[in-house]
Amino acid sequence: MISIGAGSSSSSSSSSAGVRMGGAKRRGKPGGAAAAAGSAAAAGPAQTKWRSGTQERIYGRRLLDALRATRSGAPHPQPRPRAVKDAADSALALTARGQSRWSRAILLAGAATCRRRVLVKAGGKIRRHPRPQARAAAAAAKAAAAASAGEPPVLRERKVKDRLRVLGRLVPGCRKLQAPDLLEETADYVAALEMQVKAMRALADALAAAQLSSNRQQAAGDDEADMER
Amino acid sequence: MSSRRSRSRQSGSSRITDEQISDLVSKLQDLLPEARLRGNDRVPSSRVLQETCSYIRSLHREVDDLSERLSELLATSDMSTAQAAVIRSLLM
Repeated sequence: MISIGAGSSSSSSSSSAGVRMGGAKRRGKPGGAAAAAGSAAAAGPAQTKWRSGTQERIYGRRLLDALRATRSGAPHPQPRPRAVKDAADSALALTARGQSRWSRAILLAGAATCRRRVLVKAGGKIRRHPRPQARAAAAAAKAAAAASAGEPPVLRERKVKDRLRVLGRLVPGCRKLQAPDLLEETADYVAALEMQVKAMRALADALAAAQLSSNRQQAAGDDEADMER
Repeated sequence: MSSRRSRSRQSGSSRITDEQISDLVSKLQDLLPEARLRGNDRVPSSRVLQETCSYIRSLHREVDDLSERLSELLATSDMSTAQAAVIRSLLM
């Protein structure tokens, strides 16, 4: 469960204005929690967006908040690695500001574990087992439409289709996406994951270094105490 | 959201062009770590997609490993050291 502090949300809304890349493309899908500035992330600079230092700082702050939340539940036993990973993923999705499909899927999944019953009853939108008949019918319709709409030859290849399907399973919330949207989501997701890994590694290294130095200080203090006796 | 004539067979999607797909695939290719090693042309799309899938899987594994490491570190450190560590890492 991620606690979104009021302080963190206000700071992110002021700093994200600078980070937002002016994009011409605006998907018609309902915007996520933060459509405030109006411009969606551009298709091109997925890399530049996620590799900017600002994004990493925003993410680091969010990550820390989320990690603090995992500990408040159970201070003594260590937080389960799964809880840490979920916190990191939710922080990443929040940093994406709900502009991409994968980020909205992660946020929805996080909310669902807390309020699963309510969400399922509300809209039945969260389908965990896609019905086989619906899938076959959709595939047939897509094949017919593709043949008549002059689909680019590369998309007709068996290998490409298979790999696109695998990709759709790897990127959260993109199972049923068409090729162009799926490829865009993937590019954004890969760049975001790279930033996540970089930030988590930096945090782990810094924590380890801090522990080493505090252990050394403690050991020195013990030595002094021994010598004074 | 194409500016060309949108003859939509499916809901909301217009004609997908070859150029559009190859643009997106090359953008993905640029993100892959091996992109700098090989020449960025003449790589078949299926290969790019395959490498993207395995790259995403390896990134997921790294996140899992780092989560394990972080959970151990967080167990033995208090929040003030964690905060100091984050501030230090963010400034770097």
